[in-house]
Amino acid sequence: MKVLIQNRAFFWSLVLLGCNLGCTGPRDKQMSEAEAAIAWSHMANHITRNTPANSPTFASRAFGYIGLCMYESVVNGYPDYRSMAGQLNGLAELPLPRSGQAYSWVLAMNAAQASIMKSIYQQTSDENILQIDSLERSIHEHFSDTLNLEVANRSVAYGRELAAAVYEWSKTDGGHRGYLKNFDKKKVHPDRPGCWKPPLYAQSFSHHPLHPDWGGNRTFVKNNRELPPPAMIPYDTVPGSPYYQQFLQVYEKEKTLTQKEKEAALWWGDDPDVTFTPPGHSYYLATLAVESKQPALIEIAETYAKTGMAVADAFIKCWEWKYHYFTERPNTYITQFIDPEWESFWPDPPFPSFPSGHAIQAAAAATILEDTFGDRFTFTDRAHEGRERDELRDTDFAIRSFNSFWEAALETADSRFYGGIHTQHDNQTGLTEGVKIARNILELQWKNP
Amino acid sequence: MSPAKAQILLIPLVLLIHLGARAQATFTDVTRESGINHVFEVYEGTFGGGATVFDINNDGLEDIFITGGMAQDALYLNQGNGIFRDIYEESGLTPSKGFVTQGAVSADVNRDGYRDLFITTINTSAGDQEIPRAENLLFLNNQGDLSFTDVTAEYGLKDLNSFSTGASFGDVNADGYPDLFVGNYFKNFEGQLGIIKDATIVSAHQTAEAYLLINKDGRSFKNATTDYGINHKGFGFGGVFTDFDNDGDQDLMVNQDFGYKAVPNILYENCYPGKSFMDVSGETAMDLKINAMGAAVGDIDNNGLLDYYFTNIKFNMLMVNHGRGKPFTDEAKERGTHSFTISWGANFGDFDLDGDLDLFVANGDLNPNCVPMGNFYFENNNGYFTEKGRMAGINDYGIGRGSVVFDMDNDGDLDMLVVNQKPLLNYPVESVSRLFRNDTPGGNWLKVALKGTQAEPNGIGSRVTVVSGGERMIRETDGGSSSHLSQNSVIAHFGLGKNTTVDTVIVNWTGGKEQRIINPEVNSLLTITENPDEKGNSVFIVALLCGVLALLGIVYFFKRKQPATSR
Repeated sequence: MKVLIQNRAFFWSLVLLGCNLGCTGPRDKQMSEAEAAIAWSHMANHITRNTPANSPTFASRAFGYIGLCMYESVVNGYPDYRSMAGQLNGLAELPLPRSGQAYSWVLAMNAAQASIMKSIYQQTSDENILQIDSLERSIHEHFSDTLNLEVANRSVAYGRELAAAVYEWSKTDGGHRGYLKNFDKKKVHPDRPGCWKPPLYAQSFSHHPLHPDWGGNRTFVKNNRELPPPAMIPYDTVPGSPYYQQFLQVYEKEKTLTQKEKEAALWWGDDPDVTFTPPGHSYYLATLAVESKQPALIEIAETYAKTGMAVADAFIKCWEWKYHYFTERPNTYITQFIDPEWESFWPDPPFPSFPSGHAIQAAAAATILEDTFGDRFTFTDRAHEGRERDELRDTDFAIRSFNSFWEAALETADSRFYGGIHTQHDNQTGLTEGVKIARNILELQWKNP
Repeated sequence: MSPAKAQILLIPLVLLIHLGARAQATFTDVTRESGINHVFEVYEGTFGGGATVFDINNDGLEDIFITGGMAQDALYLNQGNGIFRDIYEESGLTPSKGFVTQGAVSADVNRDGYRDLFITTINTSAGDQEIPRAENLLFLNNQGDLSFTDVTAEYGLKDLNSFSTGASFGDVNADGYPDLFVGNYFKNFEGQLGIIKDATIVSAHQTAEAYLLINKDGRSFKNATTDYGINHKGFGFGGVFTDFDNDGDQDLMVNQDFGYKAVPNILYENCYPGKSFMDVSGETAMDLKINAMGAAVGDIDNNGLLDYYFTNIKFNMLMVNHGRGKPFTDEAKERGTHSFTISWGANFGDFDLDGDLDLFVANGDLNPNCVPMGNFYFENNNGYFTEKGRMAGINDYGIGRGSVVFDMDNDGDLDMLVVNQKPLLNYPVESVSRLFRNDTPGGNWLKVALKGTQAEPNGIGSRVTVVSGGERMIRETDGGSSSHLSQNSVIAHFGLGKNTTVDTVIVNWTGGKEQRIINPEVNSLLTITENPDEKGNSVFIVALLCGVLALLGIVYFFKRKQPATSR
């Protein structure tokens, strides 16, 4: 039965995503509210992947607002649940539905998702905008078929009003249209020993680090702003020193990488130029959970809101600390002090090392998802299934199965160690801090007492 | 000490001096006294610049154009006696002030006997564009009066709004008019940009298509990129026209940045006389997944097969040619040209005049965070190399980019100009473009200049072979985008070592004609003018061959059909 439902959700995603190709979708097929919400999560990942100049930082922010917007567009239909207005950093209020009037919450959600995606991702292509419109139209037609026209219109209007309010609030967080300033060419960075250097084996052509001011952006939750920087191991070039040992571990690991470890390094790469970025991967894992459990619309929206905001805050804090310490990558240290000919398995991203962004956001997402779905959840991650084999590294994109979200988070963190672009200290700190950040999201008043 | 004893002691000393004199090229930095005063200023971190060597007034002294990026370009007129004078301001090239220039390349576009100039650009210099793009510039030589005319618009190049890097001239269709290949780095735009949305801006850093511009009878260029089957995109650094498979036409070797992540290098085989290129990167193993910044072309072991050196970030590659149908192999490590650095320009040349090709490599870090890296000079000994940059006096620590070889003083050895970037931040040594005079003490030599009457007038696309002392040495006439964003002298240069005679000079003109000169005078410049009569002959031979082939085809067709029907 589970398999059947999963297939149905997948079927709808395909139909809805494919609608811009001219089909109208089979009328006889029933779509659940859950499927409508899940279709939007697929759309969010589709836009994230297919919008040029995207970055893990900007993408994390987008998922934060898209998730929150889904939650806020339906929360007033569920008396047990509480709005985030008045709870989030600088979000005093949000539009309320008119009391005593009937609403279709799935239609409000549908309109709000389309609206927020087109605002946050205003830089996406016209083709992608058409796909968003097309999905909105399909879902709207499906759920308004037997509905009073006035109710339908009122719901759509409310969804749009709400999305507009969330978008207005987003503009003041420091990340608005952040894709226009990915690399600040004027900014001068520290140049102490152990500082980050532009990579020679690079993921990006930029020799300036990505989003140096991102750490100053407004966090969704005030408590996350207050989190102090985690401790970094002091710089040292003496063999045997803790700092040296961190890099020696990376160096030695790279020499003995198993095929499985190479597959993990490749799988979690989530290169923003060709994939939905690491935040997209976390959003995808949330989707796997809701596809499997098929909870009520509000619970789905809550899952996306929590996951999106936890990952967004994780990136803000991570970037704050990355630029606080501005530490080098293994490719810089190892070639200087261990082996001048060494090269990492995976190319370096264009920003400092400590702590690991992959680890911190994976831990944040896993903490949210375990809180909602429990610490035993078996799933298969097919995010990159069917991608062309990496000939250069002689490695396939092999699907992965896990028994818990935390297991997946650990592999995400380890994968950067296998890739030779993070030390284990970067990863462990990322995991620890990611949990704290997510807990601050979970501590918000999601339900009425 | 007895005289005999003294003699014994002297012998090894004399031998040492002798060996040293034979084996070692010595360069002298003559930048200051030559009057060259240039540094390339970047618009963005890594990009630019380059130089082209051309004799603009046909006085037998080769001149140089160097791009300036954000700074002014320079046109250095070679006045002899080792003195150069910058005549840019009065040269008619000043429209280039409106652009951030990158590379330069030259050929006789309109076949009037004078070298014309093509300059690649990445932006206008006003800096008021949201997205950096601009047209590339074409200047026609005003028949040797030391001035040029901007014909960018007349030649149909105005609307090609690109972020261009290396350009190269080659005669892909062997019609005698040099065609152009232009490498582009970021996505191109056709015509002027209208209203710029965020979507336009975020898509601007995507990979670009290249341009193959076919020269229409010397009067205009037509963009025929896709017509010729060139469909790749990439972070392009240009391409070199070269006949890697010795079939007499110009193939195209495309250099691409971030090949390990975006689109790798591509080798296109020219299907001449068909008007198309075929991608043979896979079977030749030339689909290098590196940051291919530039390339040098040369037969490192005089086996008649052209080898290729690719510059890269960290480790350069020496792709050795094993003949038609066999993949190239990277032998940089075993042959000694494998060193950790960031390399851009590269030039093969017989700098020590001993009969084999040595290799110069220009190194430089990525602005703004620059650590000094000395240039390399790899001396060739039987196809194996030893790095002697410091000994040769050419390991300058400026931020190197394009480099060109030419014989500035017509003394028979190859001199070197290296374009250096201005450091954006503190830098411990001076970084300015450098001119190195070669003061190698020994060796005989021969220089060969081509005068095409039907082929491109400078022999671009043609090949020269020198047979001397049992060695066969081959040179292609450099059409540009070799080294990095640059073009070497078009005069083929051969070191002959102790040989005082040359048996034969063979010219393979573009289009397939061959011409031989027997026993030319050595230690001199030999000018070979294409024999115009042979074109008729070759056309006749081709027609005859076609006829015979057609007949054979008909016979074969009937022979095959017979047994089939009788079965």
